[in-house]
Amino acid sequence: MSAPRVIVIGGGLGGLWATLTIAEAGHRVMLFSLFEVMRSHSACAQGGINAVLDMKGQHDSVQQHIVDTIKGGSYLANQPPIQSMCEDAPGLIRTFERMGVTFSRTPEGLLDQRLFGGVKHKRTCFAGASTGQQLLYGVDQQVRRLETEGKVEKQEWWEFLSLVKDADGVCRGIVAMDLRSLEVRAFRADAVVLATGGLGQIYAPKTTCSTNSTGAAASRVYQQGARFANAEFFQFHPTAMLGEDKTRLMTEAARGEGGRVWVPKDPNDRRAPLRIPESERFYFLEDWYPTYGNTVPRDIASRAIWKVTRELGLGVGAVGEFGAGEHGAGKRDVGKRGAGLRGAEEGSAGESRDRVYLDLTHLDRGFVSTRLGAILSIYRKFAGVDPLDAPMEIFPAAHYAMGGLWVDYEKDAATGGMKPGSPRNHATSIPGLYACGECDYAYHGANRLGANSLLSASYSGRVAGEAVASYLNGLEQGADAVPAALFEAETARQSGINERLTKASGDQNPFRLHRELGNLMTTKVGVVRDNAELDAALSGLREIEQRFERLDLGESSRWANQSLAHARQVLDMLKLAQVMAASARARDECRGAHFKPAFDLAIPEGKFPGDPEFETYRERWKANNAEWLKTTVAEHHPDGPRIGFEPVDLGLLAPDQPRDYR
Amino acid sequence: MTMLGLTRQPGFAMSASIQNPHFLLRRLHSLLGLVPVGAFLIFHLWENSQSRFGATHYNEEVVGALQGLNYLLLLELFVIALPLLFHAGYGLLIIRDGQAEPRRYGYLRNWLYWLQRISGLALILFLLLHVGLTRIAGLFDPSISADLFSHMQQALSQPLVFALYLIGVLLAVFHLANGIATAGIVWGLTSSAEAQRRFGWFCAGFGLLLAALGVHGLLGFLIAPGAGGGA
Amino acid sequence: MQAETRSNAARINEPFAAAAKAPPDHGRETGASRTPDRADAASRTVELRIRRQDGPTTAPYWQSFRLEARPGANIVSLLMDLREHCVTASGEPVDPVAFEHNCMEEVCGACAMLINGVPRPACSALIADLETPIRLEPLPKFPVVRDLMVDRAQLFAQLKRVKAWIRIDGAWDNHERAPRISPQDWAANYLYSRCMSCGCCLAACPQFGPDQAFVGPASLAQVRLMNAHPTGRHDKAERLHAIMADGGLSDCGNAQNCVRVCPKEIPLTTAIGELGRQTTVQALKDLFGGR
Repeated sequence: MSAPRVIVIGGGLGGLWATLTIAEAGHRVMLFSLFEVMRSHSACAQGGINAVLDMKGQHDSVQQHIVDTIKGGSYLANQPPIQSMCEDAPGLIRTFERMGVTFSRTPEGLLDQRLFGGVKHKRTCFAGASTGQQLLYGVDQQVRRLETEGKVEKQEWWEFLSLVKDADGVCRGIVAMDLRSLEVRAFRADAVVLATGGLGQIYAPKTTCSTNSTGAAASRVYQQGARFANAEFFQFHPTAMLGEDKTRLMTEAARGEGGRVWVPKDPNDRRAPLRIPESERFYFLEDWYPTYGNTVPRDIASRAIWKVTRELGLGVGAVGEFGAGEHGAGKRDVGKRGAGLRGAEEGSAGESRDRVYLDLTHLDRGFVSTRLGAILSIYRKFAGVDPLDAPMEIFPAAHYAMGGLWVDYEKDAATGGMKPGSPRNHATSIPGLYACGECDYAYHGANRLGANSLLSASYSGRVAGEAVASYLNGLEQGADAVPAALFEAETARQSGINERLTKASGDQNPFRLHRELGNLMTTKVGVVRDNAELDAALSGLREIEQRFERLDLGESSRWANQSLAHARQVLDMLKLAQVMAASARARDECRGAHFKPAFDLAIPEGKFPGDPEFETYRERWKANNAEWLKTTVAEHHPDGPRIGFEPVDLGLLAPDQPRDYR
Repeated sequence: MTMLGLTRQPGFAMSASIQNPHFLLRRLHSLLGLVPVGAFLIFHLWENSQSRFGATHYNEEVVGALQGLNYLLLLELFVIALPLLFHAGYGLLIIRDGQAEPRRYGYLRNWLYWLQRISGLALILFLLLHVGLTRIAGLFDPSISADLFSHMQQALSQPLVFALYLIGVLLAVFHLANGIATAGIVWGLTSSAEAQRRFGWFCAGFGLLLAALGVHGLLGFLIAPGAGGGA
Repeated sequence: MQAETRSNAARINEPFAAAAKAPPDHGRETGASRTPDRADAASRTVELRIRRQDGPTTAPYWQSFRLEARPGANIVSLLMDLREHCVTASGEPVDPVAFEHNCMEEVCGACAMLINGVPRPACSALIADLETPIRLEPLPKFPVVRDLMVDRAQLFAQLKRVKAWIRIDGAWDNHERAPRISPQDWAANYLYSRCMSCGCCLAACPQFGPDQAFVGPASLAQVRLMNAHPTGRHDKAERLHAIMADGGLSDCGNAQNCVRVCPKEIPLTTAIGELGRQTTVQALKDLFGGR
């Protein structure tokens, strides 16, 4: 058999874990990556990875981790996968540790843990403030070892274009393009794992995501029939730093380690932040959520910042500064930034003052340097100010897709978790195609807790790998038996698309279309949503798509033509953006990151469980759950996405308690 | 070349250090540069710094005493000539590889890297001149060995020769002092940036001292009284 | 924003300044003359001179571009602007410049190139800190793919040669608790584990190049890191033997450019010194026996 048995697409944490697991199970893996493996977006994750080790005498428990994750995601995620992930987390940490990952240590030399958002326990293992990088390199090194042993073959600088399915609809291989020679070629495989990460570039440039996190690959399999779930749930990270090309993440660990978020009480206070006395500062998170304070979950923090800056007009950020609108383009961008409909309405007044302070200056300098060194240097390099000397200016930016390719799991009746080794785990709706990492939808429901992403990426990669191994064992017929004509036909179809795009002669530049897509999504499918705006977004997206008919690539080079690759990505991002907008349009409620004020069930202020007013609220909340606590599932149709729903497995924790971080 | 294991191979041979002599040869190059070549240089400069005590002292106490050593030829061969030849020859091979860009990367260490190679090349030429002028010439003309002081005095009183000797001595001292500093890193004596810097300054001081000794020796030939029937 | 110069901010104690005393100088080349307040800065027109190359075997050529740099702009953002409207300074429309970028926050290592003659990541090269016209060239020492894209396969090949990994039985949980590592040892190791394989150190190394066998500082630093790990230590001799062969550690000429250009301020020369010590001991063991 000449074909490699398994193709893994994506060399981030999820893809590398899948590769490692499949290769160790004795199958040959061909690993596809858009660039040199190890440059994936996983490297950008900063703060840490959650696992209950209970190193801090706080009586932490796996059960609590499960509950926090379920509630953090507003009960929207199926509970068996969450249970298994949280149970396996400590083992994953131990495995990473053996790979040589430089986890930060306590003075005793044992694993240190810190506090993250949405939890009350110190549960987050970390490696300085570059945890994702360290974890990624740990697995990357193992895969490199397997590469030297001939068990893994890397195809770097290749872009996945489409699946090849046989007559029964089973995935039998892929078609990919060499990003240098532009060769389009089919590869046979008995199973394919998609680990292509997030899709934050749909919000570019107001996103913390890497420029290769386009979601194009997920969109391509979606367009070939894979179901896409919970697309409306997209996390806006509350603490990102300004930037015109990209908004750079300032880890949640900054708050977990004691960083405080505040604004001046007086909107006209133009003093340097450190000159503003304590009594004239508004620590709004601590005020509004005294129990969790600065470490509320991200959706809560993002909306609080939105409220403070957009509704109360208390934001900071001097006029005349970068991003503050001293030139036309910047002004337009800022007016729309992350503010949904309100930002556009408010127009020019106070539009630059959309930031709040994230303050570390009250903390011990040495402590902060050791624990957060990596982000301090990012802020220093890109903002030119040392966060040890002055508070950082931050605002919410598009960060993480909770939604993604729909994946299956097999519930283990005995444990209530996922059945280990089941070939159904992480299988997409296309037989033979698996998905793991940020491109699946499985673990985070309506909102992801900080430091659960490195966990879900690693864990899902491993589970998908185990599932693929089982799938291969049960496979009756290999990909070699599939007629070559199928592969040739798909290759020809993909080459045809390239040909069409290259030959198109119009006036529409793909990079500008991308920018328009990002602006549209940021404005209309952002932190705050409204049905009229979502309808406008859907028609706007169709309009941009139509303009592809008039594409002008700007180059006709037959070698390393980046415009061609990018144009294809933007086209597929548009399809995915439609799924996001349509899913958001379909969900008339507020849940986690999906916030539609028109349907908000606000917790009565100052009322707590037991109070009749709160109990009335609880009943309304339960009634809302009865209607809306269901997974959104989108299926591709030439006219646009078809949105449906399916029930959520709530076997472990019934939705009796509203999320309440006060 | 092949015998010495110096052929270019694209990959590493995963062999122990004694099966692949590359490492041992490099370390031998470093070691021989320090001892005996470097040590000899120090001795040689100290020896010649006695030139200012005049021809009689120099010819009898310094040169004469040395020439009276048993097994002198063997000593010269195995303690000086062969180590020096190896150090120089292998050094040429090493230089072949480098691509110094001192202007692009104007850091001190990079300049020193470049100077170490330039001085090495220059020293090979200088030593050909120096050994030819003294030891080899002495083989053909016994009077040179008999009154080395006058021979040197005569030679050094020509401005060109003096200039060449001055440059030669300074380059040799630099080459040794910088060589000691980098040997500290190579052999693992100094690892932290601070240690390397401290040791670097120590070597610079040592080099200055040695340079003073050397220049003093050169000047000594010119200012000291000549031998009775010297010139 | 605070009225504070970037040069001052940049000089403030870096978290690991004590271990890496030689910070990269290139970022501050105009530090002294910087405008004190970034907020005052407005867009300005800058000239980019880019060394282009259409393919691996074609001849390189230079092109000039003039474009608006907004305050806070960096080389990557400028190149991104350029591809939307790629017209030379003389008004000629040309193919967009090919370049690599991904994270844009100096952690993925993709965008390293020669900027005004110095190798560094393009995303963290702020326009305001650079002298104009800004010269962009592909990262030297590596084969050019197209324009500013290079092929760094050599770097990854070296990581394989030095076995830059911990040999574990398998990627499963064996219920073994993490080994104790003192915070001091952790702090030293962590410096090396942040290497993002950008290749800047190799580009600046006079001993590294396509025709040279030298393994280069990046991989050596990984040997230092792996040899310090409680399990990695088991393969220490093998890694040391790998770097004692042709093109190994002893090909280092101690020019120490590597540590000066490393964007992550990794103490590469400290690693080289420590490996000097380790190989000295290893050679004695090899020669005279002992483990």
